[in-house]
Amino acid sequence: MDSPAAISDDLATFLESGISVVVGSRDAQRRPAAMRAAGAVVSADRRSVTVFLPDQNAARTLDNLRDNGRIAVTFSRPSDHRSIQVKGSCVELRPATEDERARRETYVAAFVDELATVGMARENTGRLTSWPSVAVRVEVEEVFDQTPGPAAGQKLGRTA
Amino acid sequence: MSTHKGLDLAMIPPRCFQGVVPAIIATCSAEGEPNVTYLSHVYWLDRKHVAISRQFFNKTVRNITANPYASLQLYDPLTFEAYEVDIRFVRSETTGALFEMMAVRIEAIASLAGMKGIFKLIAADVYEVTSAQATTHYLQPAPDDPPRVWPAPPERRSEMRALQVVSDRMNRAADLEELLGSFLVALRDELGFEHSMLFLPDDEGTKLFAVTSIGYGESGAGAEVEIGSGLVGTVAQQRKLLRLSDLPSDLRYGRAIRGQTNARGEHVLTPEIPLPGLADAQSHLAIPLLLQDRLIGVLAVESRDPLGFDDWHEAFLNIVGNQAAIAIERMVDRDDDDVTEVVPAPPSITDGRRSHSFRFYKGEDCIFVDGEYLIRNVPARLLWKILRSFADEGRTEFTNRELRLDPSLGLPAVKDNLESRLILLRKRLEQKCPDLRIPSSSRGHFRLEMDCRVELEERDS
Repeated sequence: MDSPAAISDDLATFLESGISVVVGSRDAQRRPAAMRAAGAVVSADRRSVTVFLPDQNAARTLDNLRDNGRIAVTFSRPSDHRSIQVKGSCVELRPATEDERARRETYVAAFVDELATVGMARENTGRLTSWPSVAVRVEVEEVFDQTPGPAAGQKLGRTA
Repeated sequence: MSTHKGLDLAMIPPRCFQGVVPAIIATCSAEGEPNVTYLSHVYWLDRKHVAISRQFFNKTVRNITANPYASLQLYDPLTFEAYEVDIRFVRSETTGALFEMMAVRIEAIASLAGMKGIFKLIAADVYEVTSAQATTHYLQPAPDDPPRVWPAPPERRSEMRALQVVSDRMNRAADLEELLGSFLVALRDELGFEHSMLFLPDDEGTKLFAVTSIGYGESGAGAEVEIGSGLVGTVAQQRKLLRLSDLPSDLRYGRAIRGQTNARGEHVLTPEIPLPGLADAQSHLAIPLLLQDRLIGVLAVESRDPLGFDDWHEAFLNIVGNQAAIAIERMVDRDDDDVTEVVPAPPSITDGRRSHSFRFYKGEDCIFVDGEYLIRNVPARLLWKILRSFADEGRTEFTNRELRLDPSLGLPAVKDNLESRLILLRKRLEQKCPDLRIPSSSRGHFRLEMDCRVELEERDS
């Protein structure tokens, strides 16, 4: 296995900002599933990312992660479509803590602001379920530029 | 809250497919690596199918090529509610109406973004829907949210797109032959009518003749039906659409005479051309093509499925039938005065080693080729004039106009249906004597092509 990819400070700031975070997983038959996460946090050592999946609609994804751990997380800023994809393995599943709850609320507020710039009504986006959440720690193996265009899917240089 | 799970897209509001809020798609590689990415637009095709544009060869494309399963989450642009749709890759289309519709849209977006030529549609990927459901608790209820009501989405049919295609094809047809051919092809390709036939009335208004067909081994061009007899004849007489299942065989297209006439050979100078038909057809649908109350033709379709035709087929064929009637009339009525000057092509006459004998029976007004019945009435006279002009003067180029003006052909002064007679003649020659052809060379012109020698003989009876 490759050594975990490290995430630069700049990239970490982007991944933690109020942008769209979606998760892809798959079951034992390699049938995929997609869902929206309630934001993410990059670890201090820059080698893992914790994404937060709302309990109430994450059952299928959580089943998949418990089965095989393979996960793709795509981050995208609606206002300019800048997108990053992180691939790796789920190394920890646990209930999110109260401390993390406050950060989820901050995240949703920032995401709502971001969506407002592309015309989505706050009274709807503000109701995005973010709590209670499961914290999913992903050991980052690869990072890709996923911004739409011919270069989408290009692997970003590793610093590790 | 009840769960809203189904096998098709019925419960998802149509606005989710308008490309307002990007959807997400998860796929998985053969090795088991999931991938998730955004889709600017998921296209609704029908309740069981969606299409996704393929603009680049990316991970999603690689994955679905190896493992056809994918899962979408779609977002309602008004409410931001989410829907999960599991899909399976079926095929890639690189031509056709769907592809063109998506290509134009992408072209327009690329052009608006100053990226013309960079975003280009490679294919329209069609997926089958295997399950669909609302994502529960994706949003928290609003404080004063009334109990959720799921309005029935307006019924949307992929047939609308098909209608557009059929209509486009008819509109673009350059001449009657192309119009009739493309009409039946479009009905087959876009609407699934595998077996169809088109009839036009003769000049006396007592009979219909089949001018073209699709889905039968033999074209049946020239086969005649008495107005008032059989399904097609009845539809022509009543000017009313007829849909029948389990039709008694003797009623089918009035072709009871078929068996007797085939065996008789040359002694009968005006044998019937057998009408094509499915021996085991279970459903029949025939619609009159009308302009006001005037009969322009009859379209007949058949199916082996006893429930092959439904109410919507009737409604649908009615619409395309109305348009076909207008289009046919427009072609028939057309003035040939504005014919373009045609550059004569080198005569395509090669003697070949084959020889065919054409015999014109004046009394019966019909032509036999090599002892077999070919054609009668107006098209027979047309052919005889063409062949005589070649034999006597070496002519190979002809105009519709000169035929119209030739009194010996006996064409009516108005609405002479010359073009439909030429089409019929072409089709009969294709079947009975492919060595001799009369393709149109440009609008209002046609030429004689031969890969054989011909012997002409006239008899009084």
